[in-house]
Amino acid sequence: MARVGMVFDLKACIGCNACVVACKQENSLPDGVFFTKTLSEEYGVFPLANRVYIPTICNHCEDAPCEKVCPSGATHTREDGIVMVDDDKCIGCSSCAVACPYDQRTQMEESNFLAGLFGNGELTPFEEDGYGRYTPGTVTKCDFCSQRVDAGLNPACVVTCPTNARIFGDLDDPASAPSVMIRERHGRQPMPEKNTKPKVYYVN
Amino acid sequence: MSLENKVFSGDTLRVGYRFQRHWDNSMAYAFICAELGAGLFFVSLLLNSMAGMVLGLILVSTGKPYFHLAHMGVPGKSWRAMLRPDRSWISRGLLALGAMVGTGLLYVLALQFGEQSGIAPDSGLVGALKMAAAGFALVVMCYQGFAMSHSSAIAIWNSAIIPMASLLYSLAMGVAGAMILLPSAQSAGLADTQMLLLLGLAVMHLMLIHGGWHGNPGARTSVELLLQSIYAKWFWGLVVSAGILLPALLLWFAPASGTVAFISAFAMLSGFFTWRVLIFKIGVYEPIMSMNPFQSAR
Repeated sequence: MARVGMVFDLKACIGCNACVVACKQENSLPDGVFFTKTLSEEYGVFPLANRVYIPTICNHCEDAPCEKVCPSGATHTREDGIVMVDDDKCIGCSSCAVACPYDQRTQMEESNFLAGLFGNGELTPFEEDGYGRYTPGTVTKCDFCSQRVDAGLNPACVVTCPTNARIFGDLDDPASAPSVMIRERHGRQPMPEKNTKPKVYYVN
Repeated sequence: MSLENKVFSGDTLRVGYRFQRHWDNSMAYAFICAELGAGLFFVSLLLNSMAGMVLGLILVSTGKPYFHLAHMGVPGKSWRAMLRPDRSWISRGLLALGAMVGTGLLYVLALQFGEQSGIAPDSGLVGALKMAAAGFALVVMCYQGFAMSHSSAIAIWNSAIIPMASLLYSLAMGVAGAMILLPSAQSAGLADTQMLLLLGLAVMHLMLIHGGWHGNPGARTSVELLLQSIYAKWFWGLVVSAGILLPALLLWFAPASGTVAFISAFAMLSGFFTWRVLIFKIGVYEPIMSMNPFQSAR
């Protein structure tokens, strides 16, 4: 069985946020809810100032602290390593959100679904169709677009990225694109000191 | 790096520290009810104070669930929280809480009405109920601390001192409550115990601050927030001065009386309440990573 993961090429990321838009569209995310964010960091002083973009996402940790603390068994890991949240089992206690060192979980508040994308309290047909997949009050997060992965496709953020800054594939296959990139460009995991063994890597 | 030079990203898309806001005041109140109620029940159980036991059971069985359910996103499915005692402290704690209320209630009923039903208060069954209720109360006093310290995400919580704080505050608040409820002759004997617990609380706070200051960047940032930010006045004013120093001075110098016990308990409660809210507010997530070659964001 494959063990899927993702690599972020920080040299390639231009901070265009196309991945964020694609993610929101694919997952019908309401206003204020993000499964991926592109953080930015500025350093140096003019004329030697620089800005770097750091995409973030659920790291689908092998030793996922969110899964360990979940009291209802809603958070579980699939055979291919994708950490999922079962909406039917989630009780919205936020223990997982507190336990995630990367702060990558969001509680879906009732209010998230009421304002509408235009903020006038009316839902567009797109929203009405998409919001049905969520239960207000539960905690959600990125699932690597598991429905696309099951269909043999890459996550929406990956196929949208115009600079190929996101590379998705099987980390157990030494010949896969992410494995080669991690090996050749010394990929590093975010916050390795937390011992969560993320399946997301960064190369620079 | 001092607090002013650290980046707190908040809701912005910058690399920096982010405040823990998933567990809010409602959770703090739930923690307070459980620790206060379990502590009062435990101490009253040891001292055979019926009023204290009943009050403790009421707090644990009403206040704790009310505030917990208020926090929960899907309260209708809250029973599911008990399904994973093998891995979650929340599951273990809720089971212990139910068992404490159940055995505690049976024990209280046995004491109150047992003789009419032919159950002597000193029988083995009543003794076993007492032991079980005390054991479950001990778990309830500690488990919230374990639930906080279990994960490494929030560094200041990821410490053995946090469950110890839960236990110490539970016991201290239990003794403070018992000193009000018990007759003055009996409560005067608790003053020495309370002084020891207050000393324990002071040492616990010192250990947490020392450990955090010399710990990893996240823990140090939390300690800096506690001591140098807007939270400092609450910490020094209520947690330390009102919650520890004032009751210690009163118990040491003032003659034992109901008024002193009441003022002391009220001051301790304000310190305990503030501490519970503050420990949630100073929890921070560390920056995911920094690409700044000159200076780490952490």
